[in-house]
Amino acid sequence: MIQQDSTNRESFLLNMGPQHPSTHGVLRVILEMDGEYIVNLEPVLGYGHRMHEKMAESRAWQSFYANMPRMDYVGALPFNHGYVGLIERMTGIEVPKRAEYIRVITSELNRLSSHLLWVGAFLLDLGAFTPILYTFDDREHILDILEDITGSRLTYSYYRVGGVYRDVDYKFINKTRDFLIRLKERFKIYKDLVTDNIIFIKRLKGVGIISQDMARRYGVTGAVLRGSGIKYDIRKNEPYSVYPELDFEIPIGHSGDSFDRYIVKMQEMEQSIRIIDQALDRLPDGPFKGKVPKKISLPPGDYNFAVETARGELSYYMVGDGSEIPYRLKIRVPSYSNLSLLPELCQGMLLADMVATMGSLDLVIPEIDR
Amino acid sequence: MKDELKKQLILDLQNKSVKISEVDFKKCGYNLEVSLTSQQVRDFVTTLYNKKFYLVFVTAVHVTPLIEVVYQFAYFEGSFRINIRVPVTLEGTIPTISDIFQGADWHERETRDFLGVVFSGHPNLKTLILAEEDVDLKPLLKNEKVLKASEKVFNRDQIKEEKKTGEKKAKADKVKAESVS
Repeated sequence: MIQQDSTNRESFLLNMGPQHPSTHGVLRVILEMDGEYIVNLEPVLGYGHRMHEKMAESRAWQSFYANMPRMDYVGALPFNHGYVGLIERMTGIEVPKRAEYIRVITSELNRLSSHLLWVGAFLLDLGAFTPILYTFDDREHILDILEDITGSRLTYSYYRVGGVYRDVDYKFINKTRDFLIRLKERFKIYKDLVTDNIIFIKRLKGVGIISQDMARRYGVTGAVLRGSGIKYDIRKNEPYSVYPELDFEIPIGHSGDSFDRYIVKMQEMEQSIRIIDQALDRLPDGPFKGKVPKKISLPPGDYNFAVETARGELSYYMVGDGSEIPYRLKIRVPSYSNLSLLPELCQGMLLADMVATMGSLDLVIPEIDR
Repeated sequence: MKDELKKQLILDLQNKSVKISEVDFKKCGYNLEVSLTSQQVRDFVTTLYNKKFYLVFVTAVHVTPLIEVVYQFAYFEGSFRINIRVPVTLEGTIPTISDIFQGADWHERETRDFLGVVFSGHPNLKTLILAEEDVDLKPLLKNEKVLKASEKVFNRDQIKEEKKTGEKKAKADKVKAESVS
């Protein structure tokens, strides 16, 4: 469709998605193009909408466990963590130390697997096919490890209020340690294969620069925000679980372009390994589940719990009314805000650069649609 | 985050003739609770923008007989979370903040999808998550039965605000004590 505006400039509409390899899910983007340059774009959401928030309001809070992993299927455990954290905050239930350590170890393993999938898929967007074979090889090990203890490979609902669903054993600990040693070696391959690759660098340097002010106006969080040089991570800023006891850094970028976002994610993986190493060393003995009353009513009032998922800040905001059924549950997902800046970010950009920029945002569409 | 900085921020915000109360972060997950009228929203949000806050989300809760629009803001340097509640009537409108915080654009569209809250001045208030033909569905509005049952819990008339906060706290403590024992 050819359109003409008042300045006599011709533009045409280009439809991308909802089934498109580089949208990683059912996201549709309507692009207004001037030749190969983007004049305007509009993401169209809702293809995978399931109204999780209504489901939360219509059943007792325990029934919502199974909904958590269906939102962010790539990094499901931090979503679990936020929900049980919220209920524990509302009711004041204590969690044993061992359970908290297990939560941190498995959450960080999940973060690693999510980042590995992202690196592979991101490079696939840029036209490099080989890296995804390497990253999926590594990711497969994590899925095996987590499958042993959680019972599922992708849609984990492993955490319970007051602890976790079942204890970890020596097999899990040994397998995890072996895997971490292997992954540290693999980072050298990634560095040679990807990070130092001149084509890769030229595709990303200076592309899709997000300024600090822009990040703030849109409420961007996660690695996208840290790529712009703002040191903000819920694990440090609003510490939850046993993160304050563990020693790790928050890597940040400088220029806020797609390359910095990539570097931040790669460094984050190294920090996750650090966290898991320490947590395995310190894993205390004791119960993996605390004392939890049979019937838990949600006290009246407004409550909030924020966690750092693989993509950024996840906030659960719950209004209780004294019954077992949540009165209102709002789920603030990171990709939602991270995607919302795309129209402003991509104006005047080449179509190929827009694909690179969108890839660097690490979007999971079912999480946005909920 | 340093306590002095927190105190300074609270003082700066309190100049604005609005009702602000501090709450326990460990218990509620946020530091400040703010009640505004829909005329005060834009002024207060502009102040927050100048104080370098970022927008976490915009949503709404249907509590009889009003809809409470909820804004949450947080702070990049440290830990500081603000919850703002603004009551609007079912037919009323509330001014948009999407020109101050552009991220509010989608949140406001979603809130209108789910509860039918109209944000006046919004540049593009069409459906976002729901389909175009479902615009009258308003799935998160409560039915009569639920509203009636929750009437005692959410006695949120602005005039009774003061009295209610105390009661709510006491009730929450009581329920908590019951559920633990």
